[in-house]
Formats: sequence, structure tokens, C-alpha cells
Amino acid sequence: MEIPYTVTARKDTGLFNSKIGIWLFLASEVMLFGGLFSGYVFLRIYADYPWPERALPVLPGLINTFVLIGSSVTVVFAWASLKMRQWGRFQFFMGITLLCAVAFMVLKGIEYNAKWGHQAVRLDDFTIVEGHLHKATLDENGDMHVIHKGGAGAHGDAGDKGDAHGGDASKGDDGKEKFYANVVVVETEQVKFTLTRAYQPYVDDLLEQVAKRGGKLVLAADFAGRTDPDDETEVWFKQGDELTPAMLKKAKSLYLKARAHNGEVRTAALKASWKDAKKQDENQGKDGWEYAEKVQQDFDKRLAGDAAAQLVDVPASMTFTAEPNFPLIFKRSLIREGEGVSKLKDDTEIVGKVASSPLGLAVDAIDLRFVAQRAIEQGKDPETVIDGLWIMQKPEYQALWEMHRAKVTALEKELLEDYGVDEFGNAKRVPTETERYRIDWQDMVAFHEAGEQGLAADDPKIEELRPGALAGFAGPSHKNEEMAEAFISLDIPNEKVAFESKFTPKWNNYYAIYFTLTGLHGLHVIGGAIVLAYYMFFSKGLYLRNPEWLANRVEIGGLFWHFVDLVWIFLFPILYLM
Amino acid sequence: MADTPEAIRKSQKLYLLIGAILFIFTVVTVAVATVPALDVGRHGFDTADMILGLAIATFKASLVGAIFMHLNHEKGLIYLLFGFGIVFGIALMGLTAWAYSDITTYGNEKSRDGFYSTELPANN
Repeated sequence: MEIPYTVTARKDTGLFNSKIGIWLFLASEVMLFGGLFSGYVFLRIYADYPWPERALPVLPGLINTFVLIGSSVTVVFAWASLKMRQWGRFQFFMGITLLCAVAFMVLKGIEYNAKWGHQAVRLDDFTIVEGHLHKATLDENGDMHVIHKGGAGAHGDAGDKGDAHGGDASKGDDGKEKFYANVVVVETEQVKFTLTRAYQPYVDDLLEQVAKRGGKLVLAADFAGRTDPDDETEVWFKQGDELTPAMLKKAKSLYLKARAHNGEVRTAALKASWKDAKKQDENQGKDGWEYAEKVQQDFDKRLAGDAAAQLVDVPASMTFTAEPNFPLIFKRSLIREGEGVSKLKDDTEIVGKVASSPLGLAVDAIDLRFVAQRAIEQGKDPETVIDGLWIMQKPEYQALWEMHRAKVTALEKELLEDYGVDEFGNAKRVPTETERYRIDWQDMVAFHEAGEQGLAADDPKIEELRPGALAGFAGPSHKNEEMAEAFISLDIPNEKVAFESKFTPKWNNYYAIYFTLTGLHGLHVIGGAIVLAYYMFFSKGLYLRNPEWLANRVEIGGLFWHFVDLVWIFLFPILYLM
Repeated sequence: MADTPEAIRKSQKLYLLIGAILFIFTVVTVAVATVPALDVGRHGFDTADMILGLAIATFKASLVGAIFMHLNHEKGLIYLLFGFGIVFGIALMGLTAWAYSDITTYGNEKSRDGFYSTELPANN
């Protein structure tokens, strides 16, 4: 059967089928993206932290805008070529469109990768430090050392593995185990697993580490009990038995069996209590809730009496002793440190002292806006609060801050000279909060150069070091050795770290909505490119049979592609420039 | 809409022109946001910059819609369909604005007219 109106338009609407289809779809897309843009506005208005204004490097976004606009032009030319029955020209323009799509996604990939490899830390005094993680190693005594310069993998790359310990553990040239300096080291004495919660990958990682340290985890006490009330107490695992995954698995199944049995006993006892209560004369004509308390008392009595003999007992947890005591390393986000006992996300308790495990990174930005915001809220002078921060007690950071302050003063002066004062005598234009309280990576590079030139903080030449708007392509490069020298290493003690994350949705709502919007947009680019590629590579037959039909198809694909461009036209200024 | 090969041949110049305008206004968007001399309103990003940035983006989007997507001379049904999308899209934005004025989100503050006071009645 031939489907009508695929090539020619319907008389009443003047449209062919797929055109109505695509516009219906685009209307739904407007609502989808509209809702997300709305979400963006909502998150920004209600942000109770300094919104990362103009936080992304502009150049990749700008290039991607050019790429998408260019592809919008070429896709319309591809359609026009088909209308003029020029197959070769169609392929040429469609080819360029597809190359643009690939270029867009590659650039997006580079941008994403930079964020996934970039570390942010919020200290307990609300200082925010950004940079790249160093690697660290354990010495013979189990003490952790951050490797600051040189050595294999001194600067971290993107991505951590999802295991319980410090991400990609690798071996350096000296054969020593190296891991990202974002871990918590515990001088482990005991490990206690909650049988129902113990997460297999964590257990495997733990065992791997135990083997590396040349130690053993042995059962602290006999694991004994009974799953049948008629049986004698049985010892399934003896004190001193070494931990194996199979052991935990068996213990878990025994515990679950006992729990199920006890559940049945309790249910039976409760049912019996209700049955008896209902039979009693005094309860006739009453609702259940009126004598529920008495039922509960009867149930408690049963449990303590007859039913008690029916209950069985299997421990819910298993405790192992470390022989000898050895350090275990855990990824910071998976462990909650405590006094003497730390807990993993699966409730596994690690008994032992938390060793010195600083978070080591090469700092490429210091954000003091949060500190300033909080100081103002509390009626304090931000500058005084900043001077008292932990990081400012380090001379190199204090010097950096002094230079930054000099730069802001110079800017203040310049704005006053250029724009003057208003009728109240206040400067018409003043530096923004970001300019005042954020030391960006470009600033760090500039100040490093200034330091090399021997410029003092009060030297007027400092202001000349202000970086240009388009300086830097995909943010700071820690692989560029010259630039990396400007990024001062910092070891943050474990107890100072309040929150840490890569620049992922976890870090704040800005990155959450950034990844949602650009990710969804990226999926549209991929989807659109697949459709356009199909037209280009697999439609020669249709072109020869019915070129107008193909032209209509390309028009539909083109409409979608223009819409993708249209969304980006709004995304670019909102995410990169505002 | 240019439908005949002859008309399409002619409109290609227009497509190129629109492409060039879009390129130029992209540069303008970046320039007004980053070059201090072109900064409108207060120094740095503020409402004036936001309005200007979004106005340029809307202008660019209108060009894409009108010329590349042929909305400048489309059939009535298309306007109806797309119009629905736009209206509902704006309605979603409106929900945000509505939520923003929702008194319950302001904790114990009193609203200006005192009508939606969150304080409990005295006898409660």
C-alpha cells in the first residue's frame, strides 16, 4: 500500500506527513528544554552559595557555537542541492555538516574530561580550593606521603575507579604503589562487616589491600549459632579463620535463614495473640485498636516464654582482627571517619586510628567568595576573616593574596578614573565579587610571572598582568610544565576537608544543570548526526527513484538540526557568559 | 518558501547572509560579556548584561527559525503546532516565577501585604 502525502502536500493543510510530525516533535522539545531552562533559573535564583558566574572557559563554547551555526548553513545548502538535483553537492554539504557534528562532540568531550579530572575542595572554613590531585604513596611504616613534583603520574588525570580505595592505584618506576592523594588511611585493628549490607567490590578491594600489606584478617571470635531450634549450637567458622568472600557469603545466607525463621515465629505468636484477644468476651463488639495494647503485652509475654524456645540465633555481623595492625586506604568519598571507628558506605566498620592522610593537590584557583559571603552575612569584615583563614597562614598563599588585593585595588582605581562617582560620591563602577574574592588560574600564572620578574605586590605593573578574556583554551593545563610551576602544591589535613568533589554534578547545582542541559543537547547532536549520516550514505537509491521524497526527508532532518542549533544559541550565553 | 529550483538558487545568498549575521552576533555576544569597554549596566555581570545577552540570543534564534526553518512563510498548521509548544514552554517558565513568589519558601518572613502570614494564630 502506498502511503499518501509523503512527497506531495495535502490540499487542506498544504503540508506533507513528516513535516507535521517533526513540528509536533519540535513543539514537545521546546517544552522539554523550556522546563530545564526554567530549572536553571530556579536553581540560580535560590543558590545559597556564590553562583559560578562565567566559570567556564569561553573559547571552547565559542568555537562550538561557530561550528553549530556553520553546520546549520551547510545543512540548508545540502537540502537546496537536493532540490536542484545535485547529488554530489548534497553529499559535500552533508559531509561538512557531519564533520561539524563530530567536531562539536569532540570539543564537548575535551570540556567534560577537563571537568572530570579537576578537583575541588571546600575546607571547614569555607575556603574553596581547586586544582589537580597529586599522587601519594605509603612508606614502610605505613605513613602516607604526597608526591609533589616529578615521578610517574605526579599529576592526576581524569577519573577514579569505583573501588573502595584510592582510585587508580598504580606502580611507579620504583615499584611503589601510588594512588591519588585523596584518600583516608586507617591504621586498621579490626574490620566489622554487617552481613546484609557488605558490598562485594569493597570486600574484594579490602582483601586485595590486605594481601599487598602482607597481613591477614582473621575472625575475632567463633561464628556460631543455630538456624533450627532443635539443633545444638553449631560453630560454622572458628576464631582465627582467615577472611574469604565465600565465608561472608555463607554467613550472610545463614543469618538470612535465621532471620526468616524468627520472623515466622514472631508472626505466628502475634497471630495467636490477636486470635485469643478476639475470642475474649470483654473485647466483643470493640474495634481492634481499642485492645491493641493488650495484644502487644500478650505478644511480648509469648516471645519471652514459649516462643523464645522456637527462636534461633545467628550473628548479624562478623568481626575480623588485623594481624598485624596495618594501614588500609579508602577513597575519601566512601568513608566517614570517626574517633576510633570509621564507617564505609556499606556500614562496614573499620576500627583503628585515622592516620595522617592529607589531600594533596596542585592548586590552580582559590575561591574566597563563599568566605566573603558568609562573613558579610555574619556582619564581619570579609578581608579580616580572609586574613585569618588557614590557607593564609602559609606564606606563599598570603603573598598570592597580597598580589591579588593589589590587582583589585588597581582595578578599583581604574574604574573610578574611567567612570567617576555618582551623586552620593560613591564610585559608579566597582570590581565584582568574583574579581575581588576569586584567584583564578590565569591570575596564578600571572602572579607567578610577576614573582619571577621581582614585582612587589604594590608595584603598579601588577595590574598589567590581568589576563585577557579569551586566555586559556580548556582551562589550566597541569601538563604544561611552565604553567604548572605557578600552581602551588597544598597538602590539606584530613580534618580540614569539609567536602570534596571533581567538577561533576556532585560539586554543586550549577554543574548538575550544566551537565543535564549540555548532556541532553549533546545527545540531540548525536541523534541528529546519525539521521543526517543515514541520508548521506544510504539514500542514493531513493534519490534515483524519487529525489523529491529524499529532499523532503532531508528538510525534516534539517529542521531538527536547526532546532539543536537554536537550543545551543541560548545555552552558550547562559552557561558560558552569564 | 522557496520551492522551485530557481527560487532556491536565489535564496542561497540569503542563507549565506544569515549565516554571516549569526557569526557576527555570536562575536557580539562574547564581546559585550567580556570586553570591559562594552560592558553595559554595572561593572561585571548584572541584569542589564543578562537582558542584552538574551536579547541577542533571541534575535539569533529568530533568524534561525524564520529563515533556516522557513517559519517566515509557513502553513498555518505549523504556527499552531509550534505556537502550542512555545506557550507551554513559557507556562513552564511561569511556574518558576510563581514558585518564586510562594510565601512558604520564605520561612518566617511576612509578605508585604501580610495576607499570607506564616505566623500561627494566637490560639493555636
